[in-house]
This record gives sequence, structure tokens and C-alpha cells, in this order.
Amino acid sequence: MSILIDQTTRIIVQGITGGQARFDTQWCINYGARIVAGVTPGRLGEVVHGVPVFDTVQSAIAVHPADASILYVPAAQVKPAVLEAIDAGLRLIVVTSEYVPLHDVVHVVATARAAGVRLVGCNTNGIISPGKSKLGGVGGIDPGEIYSPGRIGLCSRSGGMTAELGLVLKETGYGVSTSVAMGGDLVTGMSMAEYLMLFEADADTDAMVIFGEPGTRNEQEVAELVLAGSIRKPVVALISGIFQEAYPAGMTFGHAAAAINTSAESASAKRSILAAAGVHVARSLEDIPGLLRRAFFAAETAVAPSRRGDQSA
Amino acid sequence: MLALTEDLAKRWLRERGLPVPRGAVAASPDEAVRIAADMPGGAVVKALIPTGRRGKAGAVRLTANAEECRAAVAAMLGTSVLGHAVQRVYIEERIAIRDEFYLSLSLNGPRPEIVITRSGGIDVEDVMRTQPERLVSAAIDPLCGLAVGQANELLQRAGFDAALGASLAALLVALYEAFCAADALLLEINPLAVTDSGSLMLVGAMMGVDQQALFRHAEWADAGVAVTLSRNPREYSVDVANREFSGGECQYVELEGEIGLLVGGGGAGLYQHDVMLELGGLPANHCVTPPTGTDNRKLKAVLAAILDNPRLKGLLVGFNFAQMARTDIRVSTLMELLQEKRIDTAQLPIVIRLFGAGEQASRAMVAGHPNIHYVPRGTTLKEAVRLIVELTAGARANALT
Repeated sequence: MSILIDQTTRIIVQGITGGQARFDTQWCINYGARIVAGVTPGRLGEVVHGVPVFDTVQSAIAVHPADASILYVPAAQVKPAVLEAIDAGLRLIVVTSEYVPLHDVVHVVATARAAGVRLVGCNTNGIISPGKSKLGGVGGIDPGEIYSPGRIGLCSRSGGMTAELGLVLKETGYGVSTSVAMGGDLVTGMSMAEYLMLFEADADTDAMVIFGEPGTRNEQEVAELVLAGSIRKPVVALISGIFQEAYPAGMTFGHAAAAINTSAESASAKRSILAAAGVHVARSLEDIPGLLRRAFFAAETAVAPSRRGDQSA
Repeated sequence: MLALTEDLAKRWLRERGLPVPRGAVAASPDEAVRIAADMPGGAVVKALIPTGRRGKAGAVRLTANAEECRAAVAAMLGTSVLGHAVQRVYIEERIAIRDEFYLSLSLNGPRPEIVITRSGGIDVEDVMRTQPERLVSAAIDPLCGLAVGQANELLQRAGFDAALGASLAALLVALYEAFCAADALLLEINPLAVTDSGSLMLVGAMMGVDQQALFRHAEWADAGVAVTLSRNPREYSVDVANREFSGGECQYVELEGEIGLLVGGGGAGLYQHDVMLELGGLPANHCVTPPTGTDNRKLKAVLAAILDNPRLKGLLVGFNFAQMARTDIRVSTLMELLQEKRIDTAQLPIVIRLFGAGEQASRAMVAGHPNIHYVPRGTTLKEAVRLIVELTAGARANALT
């Protein structure tokens, strides 16, 4: 298994006739993703890499039933395009578009939540379930060079860092069940905690690795779930952006959301909140495999005594 | 967030039928006096800068007649208030205030938030600090908006009496609609006043809007020009490039160190910056460069700023294993600028960590150039950071001997 997508997921691409969409679609198909239709208003009848193009989501899925949609539409079109996908009944919507107005983001996120639809992004480079399927630019032209199939779930605020996480795991013999870039914006469709709950429930994921940044309560919510015992699988966290604390509050570096509004949103506060909850906090990428090994070892030795207890009972 | 000046914020509210005092912008004492002639109750002179807290900074003056108005304007123009040059003033009719409150609407999370307190006026920051319990707040459902019922409940909690409540609730609802229509991230009304005649008036209004929504607000396209342009000439040039060229927003922030960072910005940019400090290196800047297509003008502007920094002693070109962007556009831009600026790389160690599409061409471009270290595949971000820190320290030691 994996989370969000696998080899059975049927995908439509909204905005398929654009440059990035064409590029990504080609490599997604090559990787094995089941892209069944594309949508660009006014372009009915065109074909992109063998994928038929329709005017609307509704008309596309009437002919080619689908489970998920990935959007490559301009920021101004994100709100109507997401609402169209929700109306059409798609259950997973991945928004790659950047610079979407916050009022639009908040509206589509609330609409998706009310409809029970999983919204990934905005501003994500996608999702990959190695060996099965990928949605978006994640992995580039040769995903196998970065991600091996395996049992570690990845969730990152940064799309680029999913590649570094995938590489460091691959080099040390670990593989990935699913890697998701949740987007670095202030408000995202799903929270980091929600992705981790999916990994927690996934029989083929043994541990999770997260990459976090300053700003938002994402990592704090993860810590709360670990502390409450809702997440029992090991979690390894790499949180960057400590350097920001040397500069005036409110100054942003990088992702829009990475402005520190409260002291709990700084990178060092996140590291200590996570560590206090029992999350394994890495200082660099190179630390991650060792922390995973230690976590698995600790889990085994913790299970052993209770097994003995069961036998004696 | 783009902070609008008071004239723009109030025009937005006025056009939506909300009660704001009459006012206009003046750039000279004469112009101010002409505007104030139409204000029998006296005029308020305010420095037209996109920030609140002007009252405490002495940038708001009450005047009773033309002479006072002229003097206040003359004294204010050309000064600097809270870091902003005062080039224009806002002349507004004086309002006789019986009671004043504070209201804010903000959006910086999944739901908009409204805050109100009966303790308005200039001292609201003190109230926030010393009596936070007097601030009443609520989250607003973005799908339903602010309903009259929720506004009433909020006002009751804040201790407003019923007589005022009905008209105030209707005002709150209209303000929320204006807030959303503006793509505002912050709307602060301070004071929200009851005039001597008993009507409600939005006397102070500051509004910050979402820069990402400016495509649907042509009226504010130039609102931020004077404000967002940085004083550092290199930061300024990147700001200008942001306005001139299309594509994602770039950023260049100059710091005190000596190692230039050409990074993506988020993710790996933050990570490498942290690692550099940990290894004893000092970054000369942080920057944001969006994924580059064939149009490299923004990338070029950021790289030029980095290379023009007089403190520069080393350069790290450090990116994630490229999943989408091409590496060769970055390297050719670098080589082009090094040549253009006649930079001798023997004096400037450069470490490049760029893997992915176009890598072979990228490596060929730097081959034979002294002191440009294109690290081999498999080199981690940390190892590349360590290399530039060591090379820069080595170059400094050589210069001393």
C-alpha cells in the first residue's frame, strides 16, 4: 500500500495544454501513472501525449472516470478550477499553482474540507508512491534515481527537499512508501498532521520523516498527536530556518509562510516541542538514517517485554 | 502584504457606502489649505505613510484654522516618520468624538479573524499588552462570511449596549464584505467612533492587501512602489527586477557575512543557511530565486546583486537535486555575469551543487575555470556548504600572508 495514490489511481490533468503540465504529464505517464484525461476549456478534441482533452471536468470524467485531479492552472483560475473538480466528485485534488490569493485559498480549502475532499497544496510539486505512480513534477525525469520503493513515509513543506530526503534514504538502504510535498504556503489543503495520520493507518509504512520550516502550527500539531499517542510509528523531523531567529521578527526568508508570528513558530521552538513529544529530531539530512535505525531498534526492544508478558499470562 | 496609505483605504471603504470622514491628499501647504477651507470644524493633518502608530509618532496634528494647517503641513513634509519619507499629507475633516472603539479584521490562517474592544483610540496597544481580556475575538467561517447573528453575539460579549448594537452589527457585516472584496489581509479601524451626533464613523483606517491578488486590483498596482523599494542599492535592483519582469517573486536580503548564497530560497535555502552558520561560515545574503525557465532575467538580477556585494569572499550555488528546473540555465547565467563583471575566480572561490537536467552541459561550462568547484554527484548539501566555508576561510588566510 501507500497513501493518496497508487497504480490504480485514475488521474485527470486540469490545464493539461500548458508547458509545465505537458512536461510533467509525459514523465508521469512514463512512470506508470494512469492519466486518463485532460481538461482545458475550449480545447476539446486535442490530444496531449495520447491523453484526450475535454472542455470541463464533468465531461472528461463522464467518458473517463477518475479519482484524482492535478491542477496546472494560473493562480487566478485556481478557485473556479478547484470548485469545478470538487463539484464533479473527485476525491483527491493536487494544486501545483503558486501565488494563489489567500482569500481564494481559504475558500477552496474550506470547501474541500466540507466536502470531505483531500486537497494537496497549493504550491506543491506533487506526490509519488515509488514504483506505483506519481502526480506532478516530483522526481523529475528519472524518479528512480531519487526514490526507491520502501516503507518510510515522507511529508515535506518543501518540494525540493523531498528529493534530498529520498536520496539520503536510498543511499542507506531505505525506501519510500509515499512522498508528499504539502506546499510551503501559509494555508494548505491538508495539514502535516493529517498526512501523518494517513501514514499511521497505512499497513505498508513503518515510520515517517518530516521536513518543516518556521511559521504555521503544522509541526506543533504533529507533536500533539505523538504526545497523545495517536501517532505511534516513529517520526523523524528535520526543521530548518534556525538562522531566521537572528533577524527581526516578521522578516520572511523563502516560503511565504515562513514568517515567524509567535515564538512557538520558530524553527528552534519546533525542534524542542517535537523532541519533547518523542519525535526524533535530526540536525542534518545525514542524521536521518541513524535516527530511523535507532527508532526501529527502540520499538523492537520495547515490544519484546510485553510479548514475554503475554506468554506468561 | 502591501500596506495601503490611508487615502486608498478610505476611498475603498467610502466607495462601498461605509461612513468615513471627508478627506483628500495634499503635497504642499497651499494645497492643504485649499482642501481644509471646506472643513469648517477644523482639519486633521496626517503624514501619508503606509503604517499605523502615527499618532504616537507625532505624525497626526489637529488644526483649527488655515494658519495652523499650513504650519502643520510645512513642518511635516520632508520629514521621516517611522522610517518612511513624508512626501504627502492627508487632510481630513475633524470629527467630534463621543466614544471610540477598536476593530480589526485579519487573515493569516485558515479562517479570517475579527477582534473588537470598547477601549479604542490611540492606546489600543496598551490594552493588548495589559488587559488582553478586554479584546474579544472570533474566527469567521470563510464559506458563510460574517453573519449579523455572529456580529451581535460578539458585540454582546465585548460589552456593547443593545442600543448601539444593531447599527454596529450592520457596520461590521459591511466591513467584512469590504475586507474580502479588497483581498485584504488586515483591516484595522482605530478609532471606530461614535460622533457627537450619535452616528458611527470609521475615523482611522489602515488596510494591508494581498500582493498575490493585485492582478484583480489595478487601482493599487503602484501603491507600494515607494514603500517596498529597499534602500540598499543591491536590494533595490532586485525589487526593480521584480516589478519589471514577469514570473515568480525574487528576494535578496543582504546580511553581514561574506559567503554569497545563490539558493532557491525555501527548503534547501533555509537548510544550507542553517548548516553554514553551524559550520562557522557567515552568509552574505539570503535570496529567493523561483524555478527558472528560459527567461533568466530575474535570476540574473539576484545573481548580480550577490556578485556586486563588496563583502563577497565566496559563493555557494546550492540547489536541491533538480526535479523540474534545468541546471544549465543557472550555470550559464553565472558564467555570463562573471565575464560581464570581469570577476577573477582565482580570488573568489565558487562551489556549485547542481544535479539534474542539463548537468552535463553545466559541468562543461565551468571546466577549466580556476576555483570553480562543481561537486560530484552524491555530494550532500552539507558537504557542499562545508567546502565553500573552508575555501573562503582558506582564501582569507592566503590574503593575509
